[in-house]
This record gives sequence, C-alpha cells and structure tokens, in this order.
Amino acid sequence: MMGLLQSIESSGFSQWVKQSGSLWAFPGILLLHTYGMAVLVGVIAGIDLRILGLMPAVPLAPLRKLMPLVWGAFWVNAVTGTMLLAADATSKMRNLDFGVKMAFIVLAVIAQRAIQTRVFGDPDLDRQPFSSNAKMLAAASLACWLGAITAGRLLAYVGNPGGL
Amino acid sequence: MIELLRNTSHVHLLLNHVPTTAFVVALVLYIVSLFNGSDALKKAGLAMFFLIAAVTIATYTSGSAAEAWLRGTSPKPEFPVNVVPAAIREHEDAALWATALMELTGFFSWLALWQWKSVKRLPAWNTPLVLVLSLLSFVAMSRTAYLGGHIHHVEIRPDVVDRHNACLALVDQEVKHPGSVPNAPENCSWQAAVDEIKTAPDAATDAAGAAAPNMARQLGDFVIGHTWMWPTLETLHFVGLCMLFTVVLIVNLRLLGFIKIVPVSAVYQMLPIGMIGFAVNLVTGMLFFVGIPSQYNANPVFYWKIVFVLLGGLNVMYFMLVDDAWRTTSGRDVSAGPRIAAASAIFIWVAVLYCGHMLPFIGNAF
Repeated sequence: MMGLLQSIESSGFSQWVKQSGSLWAFPGILLLHTYGMAVLVGVIAGIDLRILGLMPAVPLAPLRKLMPLVWGAFWVNAVTGTMLLAADATSKMRNLDFGVKMAFIVLAVIAQRAIQTRVFGDPDLDRQPFSSNAKMLAAASLACWLGAITAGRLLAYVGNPGGL
Repeated sequence: MIELLRNTSHVHLLLNHVPTTAFVVALVLYIVSLFNGSDALKKAGLAMFFLIAAVTIATYTSGSAAEAWLRGTSPKPEFPVNVVPAAIREHEDAALWATALMELTGFFSWLALWQWKSVKRLPAWNTPLVLVLSLLSFVAMSRTAYLGGHIHHVEIRPDVVDRHNACLALVDQEVKHPGSVPNAPENCSWQAAVDEIKTAPDAATDAAGAAAPNMARQLGDFVIGHTWMWPTLETLHFVGLCMLFTVVLIVNLRLLGFIKIVPVSAVYQMLPIGMIGFAVNLVTGMLFFVGIPSQYNANPVFYWKIVFVLLGGLNVMYFMLVDDAWRTTSGRDVSAGPRIAAASAIFIWVAVLYCGHMLPFIGNAF
C-alpha cells in the first residue's frame, strides 16, 4: 500500500503539482477546489437553510434546477481533490484529519441524495410545511459540510506522519 | 495618476478624508431626516454610511501600509526625522476602534435599507441604534484623524505646543526683566521642542529600539500567539465565504433569469445571510491583518482584493437603491441594469475569492 502511494507521489504529475512552482499547478488546482467548495456548499447551504425555515417566501421546487450546478461543483472538487491527494498521497493517507474529512463528505453526499429524493421528490413540495425528517436531513447536511470544511481547512495545519 | 495609486501611502492620505469629511455629510443628512421625516434623505444617509464603512476597510489597511513604508525594512525602525513613532501607534489604536464602530454602523445601515424594502417600515430600534453608532463612529474617527495629523505635523502635537509656549514665556520674562532667567533660550521653535522630545529617553522603547506594543499589536500578538487561533479563523473565513456565495449565486442567477419561476422578491429574503457571511469574513480577515500586517500591506494581490471588496460594496448599494428589480414576480425578467449588476456581482466576488486565494502564491502571505 505504502509503495503504491509512494509511486503515485513520485509520478511526474504529482511532482509537477508539488514542485513546479507554476501558478497552474498547486495554486490553480487548489483555487478550483475552493471555487468548487463555494458553489457546492453555498447552494446546498441555501437549500438547507430554506428547509430549516429561513427565507419562507422562496419556493423550493424551482431550486431543483440548480442541482446540475451543485453536482458539477461536486465533481470539480472530486477531480481537483484527487489531484491534490496524488501530490501528497503518503502523508494525507496517514492523516486522521483527512479520513475525518472524507467521512463528513460521504455523510453529506448521503444526506444530499436523501434530500433530493425525499424533499424534492415530494409532490406536495412547497404546499405543506416540511416534515421533521426533512428538517433533520437539512440540519445533518449543514453539520456535515461544516465538518468537511473545518477538517479540510485543518489539513493545512495538522500533519500526522506518524501514521493513522 | 495610476503611479500615485500604486503608492499605498498616497492612497491612505487620499482615502482618510472619506471616513471623516464625507461622514459629516452623511451624518447631517441622517440627522436632518430624523427632524423633517424625509425618507429620501434618510435613505441617502444610510447608503452613505454603508459606502463609507466599505471605504473605511481600505483606509485602515492602507494606513498600515503607510506605516510600513515610513518604518522602512531595517530591523530597527528608522522613521523620518519629524515623525514621532509613538504618534503612529496612538493613531493605529484609535483607527482600530473607529473602524470597528464604522463597520457596525455600515452593517446596521444596510440592515435598515434591507428592512425598509422587505417589511415596508423600519423596526423602532434601528433608527436610534444607527444614530448612536454613527455618532460614536464620528467621535472615534475624528479622534483618529486628530492623532493621525500628529504623525507628520509634529508642530501641532500638544507636547510640542506646550514646550514651545514655555520657551516663549521664558524669553518674554527675560526681555521684561533682564537677568531674571539665567539660561534663557535665544530662540524658540517647534523644531527645538521636537528635538528635545525625540532625544529624551523614551520610556516605551526597550534597549533594542522596539516600542511597547500598542493595543492593535497586542490584539495581533493574541492572534499569532495561540496556535488554535489562525486555523479557527481560517475555518470561519471559509464558512463565511460559503454563506456569501450562497446568496451571490442564487440571487444573481435568478436576476440573470436562470430560475425564473422564483420571484425576485422571494430571493430578497436571502440577502442578510450573505451580509452576515461578509461580516464574519470582515472580522476574521481584519484579525489576520492585525496579526501579521506585513503579509498584506506590501502584497499586490491584497491591494486588488480590497479594490474588489470596494466594488462589491458599490454593487450591493446599487441593489439596495433600485426598487423595481426586487418587485419582479415569478416568471418575469428583470431589466438590463440589474442584470448587468448581477453579472458584475458574480464577477466581483469570484475575483475577491481569487485574490484571497492567491495571497500566498502571487504575494507573500502564507
């Protein structure tokens, strides 16, 4: 396993990301990752807050149209995240904080898919108040994205080369 | 002209008139509106409070750059001969208080304009709150300007004036009663008084020439002195960024016609989320700034970030002062003006994020 990670980390691409000094390498990829986060978490948080009762005049059904934007941003971040991981595979894969971030993202994606099927799939959407289940999902989604952002931000500060 | 604007000291001298002089105009408009009940005057006052609060961000940060320029880069600061370093530190502390009050005034002024449109009238507490905050801002900002004047105009510092007057009194006495003052000075000048002050041992300076930290520096030391502080602020800065983008995207995409079924009056309800997100980022951003000013005050990307934040402030004020666009109902398009402003808003905040992200890569921050 470690050998595989090391060979990924020493590949030409990873070296370019980490050491080329080009603005298109690490800075550019991280920039796309940040834009992706802003769009993904931005739009999802808006929807979650709406479900939780803020901005009651905003109808939720039309916001379904924003889902391609949300998932587009998700895949941008999946790809750029993989690139950033490849550049630093051995230490990231041994960093507990990275595992925490991934766990939050998995849970957030599960919550998001549940919101899409249960809340957006509800034929009575916008005609009756949200169920407490929907509110629980929205709160869980917010909490998971908050957790993912926090854990992601902390990756810049907590290294754990000693192993997970 | 462009060359002048590249000099941040010059920019500070240009901008520092806005939170003082322009603020007086805004304050007069606001107070007059309280007496004559004119909504137009009150809106104008509130809009000016908000815009001046935006300019104040640039005024504070450019001031730090001006200080760095005066101080030079040697480990032991070498200020020009007629600059009293203690005056800079007093001015900086006054500016920190004044900026905090000004930003609060700007926030509640914006809230008043927002509530005006959404609930058609102001809640009773907002008008007196903005009045108190704006008066406090005015006092704090005037004090800042007064102390700022002492940095280069040492001749008007009270201690210089006192010594000068004492010198004149001695000369006068010697003229009236020759021989009564054995060591009467031959001439009195503010320069002699300044020399006396500058050569007197400075109790606030240690052997290495470092000044005792002022309040701004103590706050900065608190930020960089605790390992948990910077990561926490960074995390909050990212959360604020997401809140701001929630609104920037959904509101402006609607104005551009992407989710036309949603009434524009409905997305109007989202605006406070964006403004709170901006407030979180302003507070955390200012804490980064006072923590390590040198990362930002000579950083070209930071300069551009502040320029875009100012444009963002103008953009917000445009939207607060147009009424028609916000009345657009479900399925209808908004007119060309608000559409252009909506596209600009997305561009501006994408640019702010770009500049913030590139601080360590193009500039010198970490």
